[in-house]
Amino acid sequence: MEVSLFIFNSDGMIKKLIYNILLVAGVLFILDFAIGRTLRHFYFREIAGFHYRTTYSMEKTMEDVLIFGASRANHHYVPEIFGDSLKMTFYNTGRDGNGIFYQAALLKSVLKRYTPKIIILDYKGEFWKGPLEYDQMSSLMPYYRTHKEIRPIIELRSPYEKLKLGSETYPFNSQILTIAMGNLDINKTRNADNKGYVPLEATHAPELKVYTSTASYEVDSNKVNAFKDFVTSAKASGAKVYVVYSPLYQKLARYQENEICSEICAREKIPFFDFSRDTFFLQRGNLFYDGVHLNHKGAILFSNIIAGKIKAGLNNSPD
Amino acid sequence: MVFTSFNFLIFFPLLATLYFLFPTKHRWLILLAGSYFFYINIKPVYALLLAGVTLSTYLFTRLIDNTPNESRKKTYLVLNIVLILLPLFFFKYFGVVNEGIFGLLESLNVRWPLPSIELLLPVGISFYTFMAIGYTIDVYNEEVAAEKNLGIVALFVSFFPLILSGPIERAGNMLPQFRARKGPDYDMIVGGMKLMLWGYFMKLVVADRVGIYVDAVYHNIGEHNGTSLLFAAALYPFQVYADLGGYSLIAIGTAKILGMNVMDNFRRPFFATSMAEFWRRWHISLISWLTDYVYTPLSFAFRKYRVRGIVTALLITFLISGVWHGASLTFVIWGLMQGIFVSIEALTVKPRNNFAQRFNLKKRGWYIAVGCLVTFTLFAASQVFARADNLQDAFLVYARILSTSGPLFIGVPSILLFGLFGIGMMMLKDFTDEFMPSRFLLFENKHKPVRILSYSAVILLIFLIGVFDGGEFIYFQF
Amino acid sequence: MERTDIVTKLTPIFKKVFNDDSIIITDGLTANDVANWDSLSHMLLIAEVETGFAIKFKLKDLNKMRNVGDMIDIISSKL
Repeated sequence: MEVSLFIFNSDGMIKKLIYNILLVAGVLFILDFAIGRTLRHFYFREIAGFHYRTTYSMEKTMEDVLIFGASRANHHYVPEIFGDSLKMTFYNTGRDGNGIFYQAALLKSVLKRYTPKIIILDYKGEFWKGPLEYDQMSSLMPYYRTHKEIRPIIELRSPYEKLKLGSETYPFNSQILTIAMGNLDINKTRNADNKGYVPLEATHAPELKVYTSTASYEVDSNKVNAFKDFVTSAKASGAKVYVVYSPLYQKLARYQENEICSEICAREKIPFFDFSRDTFFLQRGNLFYDGVHLNHKGAILFSNIIAGKIKAGLNNSPD
Repeated sequence: MVFTSFNFLIFFPLLATLYFLFPTKHRWLILLAGSYFFYINIKPVYALLLAGVTLSTYLFTRLIDNTPNESRKKTYLVLNIVLILLPLFFFKYFGVVNEGIFGLLESLNVRWPLPSIELLLPVGISFYTFMAIGYTIDVYNEEVAAEKNLGIVALFVSFFPLILSGPIERAGNMLPQFRARKGPDYDMIVGGMKLMLWGYFMKLVVADRVGIYVDAVYHNIGEHNGTSLLFAAALYPFQVYADLGGYSLIAIGTAKILGMNVMDNFRRPFFATSMAEFWRRWHISLISWLTDYVYTPLSFAFRKYRVRGIVTALLITFLISGVWHGASLTFVIWGLMQGIFVSIEALTVKPRNNFAQRFNLKKRGWYIAVGCLVTFTLFAASQVFARADNLQDAFLVYARILSTSGPLFIGVPSILLFGLFGIGMMMLKDFTDEFMPSRFLLFENKHKPVRILSYSAVILLIFLIGVFDGGEFIYFQF
Repeated sequence: MERTDIVTKLTPIFKKVFNDDSIIITDGLTANDVANWDSLSHMLLIAEVETGFAIKFKLKDLNKMRNVGDMIDIISSKL
């Protein structure tokens, strides 16, 4: 007979192959477990820097005022100003290079523990389709195992994320040196922060760039949903919620994300402070570090404005 | 589907199992179906093009085989080559030629609104078109018989391990293997998995990591000093080697698991002591293709001009190699540089050999090291043109390397350190394979525990420092 | 012409093209055995052999030359 099912004829070979593959898998499992657990241990022992600030934001904050956002949140909201003006405790959870998924995940972990009095989301809404913000979620990976509430967000990355996160080392991919450095004493001075806030010191004013494209980008519904989810659950928690688009030192021909942001905020009756085209800031390059970041001087000024607006709002509100 | 996607890690074991379970006589059907599934997963419409190239090649090779008339044979040969080159030219060069004509007309003050079309290059087209052309010429030269089964021809052109980035295989090697009725072979399967593992290491740990640094510098040439540009220029050859070399290893390993031997694509290129030798070690499948189908006929045609004829043939061959990589002036210059390097070597081979023989240098370590270093430097210098977006950028890189200095740009220190660590491991392996092939064996160690530990350790290294997010394979654009 | 005569006539051509006086021509000799025999010097060799024997090769003949023995066969078929 022509038909020959080799796989059954070569039983011994298949057995040997499977045995050896299992052997490698076994050794890999042990190495992965040992190294992954070691990395985890040292990751959570860090006492300064990005890793530490994310851990603090997710697991330890008890402050009244919380700032959420990316680098523009982190470098724009100065703790003392909010503390003095509102007479409340303050923490800035903004982290460079992270988008709405990160912020939504952080908020979930915070609300599980307590309700802050004031939640400010600084959002230069980036709702376009693209892999960037999904990639950036790698900063949430170390928390996947211990924080069930953020899992659905991380699993947006790909259908295989669950499987990949079966590995103990994968959440700490590319982090080994950062973790090692984070456990050294010099890290405290190297990565110092002031209640999360890290000032940017600029030496000269950046160039004012003008963009002319009015083309619209394809909107990623996952990102819009994460934004909606953020504002609605923040509001439902009982906190006062504000969305802020902090100043830019560049001129865009179209602010598509503003259209989406303001629409959602209007529907949810959440104040939306839009400084994207604020002429005061656009005329003062010396307040900026670059086209999208205020320097420390600019941040102080801007924090005063926002704190003032919030204070006025609190005084006028019925409760 | 790309090799570095999770989908592939699921697709391939399933396909391989199905393949070995199927009756051997019709097993090629599984591979053909799998290959089209693999390709369609990237962009369905492009599969039509692939099928078109297959059909044309099948028809004309059969016609060549069936006619005794020599001039008819030649007509069919030329017709098929022209026909299947059309899509390649259209997708790869139309935009550039169009812009060129537009610019010319504008400079002559003629306003002729030509449609400007932004075309996305169908992936793998440069690779499978070359395979189909090679097959047609082989049939014409009676090196292989025209395959009568359309399905086997279709499989040759679309074979999924090779379609995205080679190695550019030959019908003479592949067709009999598609028909072979062998069962699964333990050594082939294990050998294939080892190649794949090292390929993944090269791609994910070395190429993608080094690429982050090189991109950061090349995206902003004007802002970086000569030190950083020189460093990025020196890193780029390692990136390309790890990228295409790693991807080729995954391809070769995949084919090997299925029981098929595919040619090597890289053989420790950075230990070549001359450019001529370098090109026998670097992207071997492309260069041997060009040697057989471009250089040999050309140099044969020019042979009465002796050395001058050969140099002309060399320059044209490398020029074509450059244009194959990309439709831009930078790649024209890149190709010409290779041609010039190799020609100069060919012209000076006698005095250089006499010199080396007189002082008995050939086996001296330092002589070999100097040869490697000079070869690497020449190649790295030419690669500036391969990496830069345009001629101005390439010249700017040279100008800034020569005129500016300062501290090295570090960026994110761990990115650079991981990248250098990866390059170190890759080169250490190449070094021992090149100079002491029977020592320091890991994957091939005679003690099983060492082997098992090495596989696990390499996988773990990929988990630990591989780049998982946003690593684009740079050879897909060719 | 006998094979031995062809070999006698080929020897100086090989010595000249490959710049090596120690070459001994055998049927089994291939490019791998001669240091300077690469795709560049190969075409010079072809051209010199054509002149030396006053013959013309075809491109297809080249593909059939796996070793010197094949080359001698092809040469003798053209004489």
